[in-house]
Amino acid sequence: MNIRDVIQTINQMQADGVIEHYAVGGAVGATFYLEPVATLDVDVFVSFKPEAGSVIVSPQRIYDYLTARGGTVQGEYIVISGWPVQFLPPASPLGEEALAQAVEKDVAGTSVRVFTAEHLAAVALQTGRAKDKARLLQFIEAGVLDPARFQAVLARHGLTAAWQRFEQQFLRDQP
Amino acid sequence: MTFDPAKILESKRALRRDLAARPIAEKLALLDALRERELAIRPASQSAKESSVLHEEPAPYRAGGKKTL
Repeated sequence: MNIRDVIQTINQMQADGVIEHYAVGGAVGATFYLEPVATLDVDVFVSFKPEAGSVIVSPQRIYDYLTARGGTVQGEYIVISGWPVQFLPPASPLGEEALAQAVEKDVAGTSVRVFTAEHLAAVALQTGRAKDKARLLQFIEAGVLDPARFQAVLARHGLTAAWQRFEQQFLRDQP
Repeated sequence: MTFDPAKILESKRALRRDLAARPIAEKLALLDALRERELAIRPASQSAKESSVLHEEPAPYRAGGKKTL
């Protein structure tokens, strides 16, 4: 079980032209900015190359590519090197922007594209589950968000009111 | 060692800062180890009745403010 193998496999899949761009999000993406937190899967956001003669976006080429190289399909996941990986098209303008503005990081000589901290935090706010709120608090407590950039992302994607509610709920009367 | 809550909290914050500041390759290796530990402590009954590969409930990433599956 090795997440670096997952990254190398995705890089190779991009080099082979199966996907155009990708970026790691979710808890694994957050690990590039925060302390590691246990997670069971990897969220990879991708832009697909449309298949010739089709306007329907399909992950079939990804499935075919990876299963030919030892990956196994488990529902919506493909298991690579022991990690369930979910490939997701950006489902909102925020996701599209996060994918477009993802940054390149280096993992001991292996490059990987990752959402910015501000986009990861905004996606967590938008998604809004308890663990997403906990992650957003982690980002704030760690001081890794650029406040101006974060507020700009929130404003562009209509999340300012949600942020105010979050502040009201979690950030008032902090010691 | 201390039982002073303020010192305990500060030591936890210091540990988190130390973990966050480690090289990313080391942090990803920690993710591998954390996942293996998570799988080991999950009840066997849960994993037996579900898929052979444990994963989380996918995040409800939204399109246009609406939930998607």
